Amino acid sequence: MSATSISSRRSKRSRARRASLTSHAILIVVCAFVLAPCYFLLMGSFKSVSEFFSTPLSLPHRFGLSNYREAWAQGAISTTITNSIIVTTSSVILSTAISCLASYAIARLPFRGGTFLRLAFLAGLLVPVQLIMLAIFIIMRWLGILDTLLSLIIVYATFGIPLGVLVLVGFFQAIPRELSEAAIIDGAGHFQTFLRIILPLARAPILTVIILNGVWIWNDFFIPLVLTTNPNVATLPLGILNFYGVYSTEWGLIFASVVIAALPILILYLLMTKRFIAGLTAGSVKG
Amino acid sequence: MARTMARRLQAAVRRRPHVWFLLPAVLLYLAFFILPTLGSYWLALYNWSGLGPIGNFIGLHNFGRALHSSVFRSAALHNLWIFISLGVITNTLSLGLAVLLDRKSRLRGVYRAIIFLPYVMSPLVTGFIWEVLLSPNIGVVNPVLRAVGLGTLQHAWLADPHLALAVVISALAWQWNALATVIFMAGLQNVPPEMREAAVIDGASELRVFRHVTLPYLAPAFTIVNVLLAIYAFRVFDLVYVLGGPIGAPAGSTLVLGTEIYGNAFGRGAFNSATQLSYAMAEGVLLFTVIGVVAAALLIVLARRERHLH
Repeated sequence: MSATSISSRRSKRSRARRASLTSHAILIVVCAFVLAPCYFLLMGSFKSVSEFFSTPLSLPHRFGLSNYREAWAQGAISTTITNSIIVTTSSVILSTAISCLASYAIARLPFRGGTFLRLAFLAGLLVPVQLIMLAIFIIMRWLGILDTLLSLIIVYATFGIPLGVLVLVGFFQAIPRELSEAAIIDGAGHFQTFLRIILPLARAPILTVIILNGVWIWNDFFIPLVLTTNPNVATLPLGILNFYGVYSTEWGLIFASVVIAALPILILYLLMTKRFIAGLTAGSVKG
Repeated sequence: MARTMARRLQAAVRRRPHVWFLLPAVLLYLAFFILPTLGSYWLALYNWSGLGPIGNFIGLHNFGRALHSSVFRSAALHNLWIFISLGVITNTLSLGLAVLLDRKSRLRGVYRAIIFLPYVMSPLVTGFIWEVLLSPNIGVVNPVLRAVGLGTLQHAWLADPHLALAVVISALAWQWNALATVIFMAGLQNVPPEMREAAVIDGASELRVFRHVTLPYLAPAFTIVNVLLAIYAFRVFDLVYVLGGPIGAPAGSTLVLGTEIYGNAFGRGAFNSATQLSYAMAEGVLLFTVIGVVAAALLIVLARRERHLH
């Protein structure tokens, strides 16, 4: 081996190392940019109001839970968090079940208009919520269920359908025909086939739909902002927004309530990071 | 009569099992999606504040008024700015991050988890964090600038009409980058490693490999990211509402179509509580049209490019 080829290999290796160092450096800077606000939020949730002004950059004097306790009481968080849990779980269950049924028919049952129906559902992804919520407000007022959790659940369950259909139809279509045909020949009805054969195979995409819709519903405050005024039916984000309007200088309390709102999703995310990311890409790339 | 009809219905359902499967979805969708959408088109033709009986039929007057209104136009322009700025950031920064995250490294999982984190944060939390970070009273950005000797760059960020929209865009970018990066990352996984290796063995530089091997495979990811971005940028509401409220404070500089429509429909709190629901609906219909046109145009252009690249 000649001396030149050895030195060129060496320079190649050092170039690769330099590239890898640069890449780590860039990624670390970006990660810091993502984490810094979160860190500031968490630290702020332990500080007293005077600490915000006197020592904005340093750690809190002590990590007591008094802000949290006070925010929990004054922000009526026990009420709003219960509302959020009720609304999120029931609308996610409802929406996912309905989307599964409809996607099964569109993907695997022969009837005219399946493609049209699929497109009609997908078009829902384009309609601006700001437009549609105005008319829904009128419908709910006419039905007499403004200011109820039920109205929120109905709206979220419906708005979750387009995404459910987007993710599930593609997946159901990919399941081999032979599997369900065998079951039908054995005398199982379509509902049995759907329940016993298709659904168990579709656990991953169903979890995707649950995660995507669940995160959106938990975080959303636009729909409750339009449909509710009674603080007893406010969801967690709306409750915080109202709290912020009233106690706009009690920074520590507001920080604490914001941390409480972010925590459940954050914990789920840390437990299932891979599922979240995989689900998200499946949801967006399948289209 | 009713009985025979019921029996006939039953028989029809047995012949067509799909009806049962579709019924709940179609009913909900008709009642709470199609009906309100079409209803908005119809109500936009009337003069109605939203309270009391529906007023006179005024044809396309609301639409004309919106198109001539400087407030509506400036809100639409802000949406366009958001779309363009996020577009630049997405197709450079997010793409670059995805490429870096595609390299094998022990820390890859950690980087990914952190970079994707903003996606699960609620817009309320995000908006709130940014508002406080930049606050002239209790924020940390100004003290940090002072500490590193850049005190002259201090600002009352969100109170300055020239800067507020830029702050809103930064906050949106902080959150949107997560989704864009992940989609590009998924696209990169579709590039067959053999193709890249073959090009490297042939002596192609890294840049050339990226340009001629990786990019063509990324074409579908580009399409998805940019169409989703168009929908996101024009429908945006939550984060902007937290930062600028229904009046787009300060001085309407952060007003977007979403907050403009909301403000007209339900009033702007203490500032102006008068509602003009049918006018807001006309604005919403125009917004829907813009989203449809932009998304369709992007789809057509990018899909043609996809075919061209392959």
